[in-house]
Amino acid sequence: MILIVAEHVEGRLKPINRELAAMGRGLARELSCPLGMAFLGKETANAIAECQALMPDRIFVVDDDKLAEYSSEGYVAALAQLAASVHPVFVVAPHTSGGYDFIPRLAARLGKPAVAGCIAYQKQGGRIVLTRQIFNAKLHMRVSLRGDPPYFATMAPGAFPVRDGSPDGAERERMGEEPAVEATVDSFAVDLSAVPIRVRVVQREAAAKGEVDLGSAGVIVAGGRGLKEKSNLHLIEELAESLDGAVGASRPVVDMEWLPRERQIGSSGQTVSPKLYIAVGISGAVQHLVGMQSARCIVAINKDPDAPIFKVAHYGIVDDLFKVVPEITKTIQALKRQARI
Amino acid sequence: MKIIACLKPVPDPASRFFLNEDKTWIKDRDLTFVTSEADTHGIEAALQLRDAVDSAGGEVVALSIGGHRSARVLRGGLALGANRAIHLADERFEGGDEYTNARLIARAVEKDGGCDVLIAGVQSDDLCSGMTGVMAAELLGWPHASVIVGVERIPSGLRVRRELEGGWTETLDVPTPCVLTIQFGLNQPRYASLKGIMAAKNKELKVWDLEALELAATAVGSEGALCRVSDVFVPEREGKVQILSGSPAEAAAQLVEKLKMEAKVV
Ligand SMILES: Cc1cc2nc3c(=O)[nH]c(=O)nc-3n(C[C@H](O)[C@H](O)[C@H](O)COP(=O)(O)OP(=O)(O)OC[C@H]3O[C@@H](n4cnc5c(N)ncnc54)[C@H](O)[C@@H]3O)c2cc1C
Ligand SMILES: Nc1ncnc2c1ncn2[C@@H]1O[C@H](COP(=O)(O)O)[C@@H](O)[C@H]1O
Repeated sequence: MILIVAEHVEGRLKPINRELAAMGRGLARELSCPLGMAFLGKETANAIAECQALMPDRIFVVDDDKLAEYSSEGYVAALAQLAASVHPVFVVAPHTSGGYDFIPRLAARLGKPAVAGCIAYQKQGGRIVLTRQIFNAKLHMRVSLRGDPPYFATMAPGAFPVRDGSPDGAERERMGEEPAVEATVDSFAVDLSAVPIRVRVVQREAAAKGEVDLGSAGVIVAGGRGLKEKSNLHLIEELAESLDGAVGASRPVVDMEWLPRERQIGSSGQTVSPKLYIAVGISGAVQHLVGMQSARCIVAINKDPDAPIFKVAHYGIVDDLFKVVPEITKTIQALKRQARI
Repeated sequence: MKIIACLKPVPDPASRFFLNEDKTWIKDRDLTFVTSEADTHGIEAALQLRDAVDSAGGEVVALSIGGHRSARVLRGGLALGANRAIHLADERFEGGDEYTNARLIARAVEKDGGCDVLIAGVQSDDLCSGMTGVMAAELLGWPHASVIVGVERIPSGLRVRRELEGGWTETLDVPTPCVLTIQFGLNQPRYASLKGIMAAKNKELKVWDLEALELAATAVGSEGALCRVSDVFVPEREGKVQILSGSPAEAAAQLVEKLKMEAKVV
């Protein structure tokens, strides 16, 4: 069995589970085994319906007082007991603040291989080889796993995109598989009485609402560490202004306090999909890409031809941004003047 | 409060990388190595925690696994203000994975008499796994908190702020001893002063090998690794992108033309 671990908040499944199910389904097909889905927490009709929509073959609900709220210690203990009973080949969770918090701990407890941020899998000689990104996506690495299962993995967000509608059902049809039947739902009883939950959640909070709403901007010019210094920000500000657009940033620019947090685009910032996104001096790490790759037109300006941002870009200029950006601004301004005449 | 901070040497991320002969890693012999970015925030957090609590009895120990490059980043850590350093160096440690490195770190922490807080980076600049610190916590049997963007001392241990997705954070109370994995941008790392660099020369730097750690050769390095690198490759660009060439002015003119006529977005 392939066992995927559902990520949920307050009983609602997060959208990322669709990608997780797509990867899990693919692995299950590759290994000719069923796809199981573990839901840890309070069982509600809603949660089960949302799990069913992802069409696993089996659903395991693990409900215990100690799982009412996420904790790595609770998850690790519960999943170790579940794995000992259902013998999965792979246990997969998303590479998010949830998945990368408990998967390594669980794997280390069982002394089994764990691969972080997987973007692809392949069968080689009967065994699965996983692909992951290294050096912030500049290179990819294929990893083989030693010993017997279970194996553990986290899935990089965005690597197994699903189309809207009922993708998994459509895919099943295409593959000539049986139309989906409802998964059997089992309650799996765990004994967590001896498990200490030492980390206590005091509170959870959303980011303070800022002044800017990048979500509604039609054009975003985003700057990265390639800008070198805060005093160079004017380059992207002027370009943004010429396009009546907004200024965005990669995380380091915000961490270095050149721009406020509300300008940050990516997994720990805002998700945007403007009609035009211009990435200036941004390498294109996966955490940045998930925040902007659905933009309609993406332009990348970077002096490194191997920068991963070019993988999602429609237009690219491989050159020094300090020379290129002012030229673009000038050209746009000239165009606007022309239009006015 | 005793804090052990991990420092991983990594090839300068701004370098251009070329694959080695057997395509299992990059050619890194001639590259400049630096301290992995998250670890620069990690050691800064350690120093601040030490100095905020009890500068009299507090101690920061820098820890690194690797060859001469580790010795260099450790000297850097000492120059920043770490009290002493531990260098885990042995050819048999090479070729390991996150699990064997976590085992080495956990074993070194035990051998050094434990600590209150073990600090690792949220992820390294080369492997980008984000697993080593969390695995070390499990091997030590300590609680952990990952992706930390705020740390403060409270009577029962630490109060930390952990980053979730989309701007959400949570506040956690973690008893010590514990492991934290530090997120980018937690603080603004200091620079080493000349005085610090001079003082570092007289600070203790212990070197421990396999025998010192009393581990089996089969538990570390390539022998102990559970994950093996099959190969490393340059990802394909998928052919979608149009690269606009020429002088900066020519490229800019082409771009604006395309945005107007082809993409119709300006
Ligand atoms: C849990 C977690 C969450 C994260 N969340 C986010 C997030 O929400 N958003 C985000 O952006 N990142 C996020 N990150 C960080 C992410 O992993 C990368 O570190 C970050 O995106 C890199 O930013 P950058 O591209 O600006 O910098 P770098 O990766 O340093 O890239 C700088 C680029 O500029 C180019 N350059 C340099 N000089 C020039 C020049 N003169 N002309 C042209 N090009 C030049 C270089 O070739 C390079 O490609 C997160 C990381 C973690 C671990
Ligand atoms: N060789 C090493 N020496 C010291 N610390 C390390 C080493 N490898 C990993 N770490 C620590 O583990 C963190 C996460 O690494 P990784 O799991 O590779 O992403 C790093 O930021 C370091 O704090």
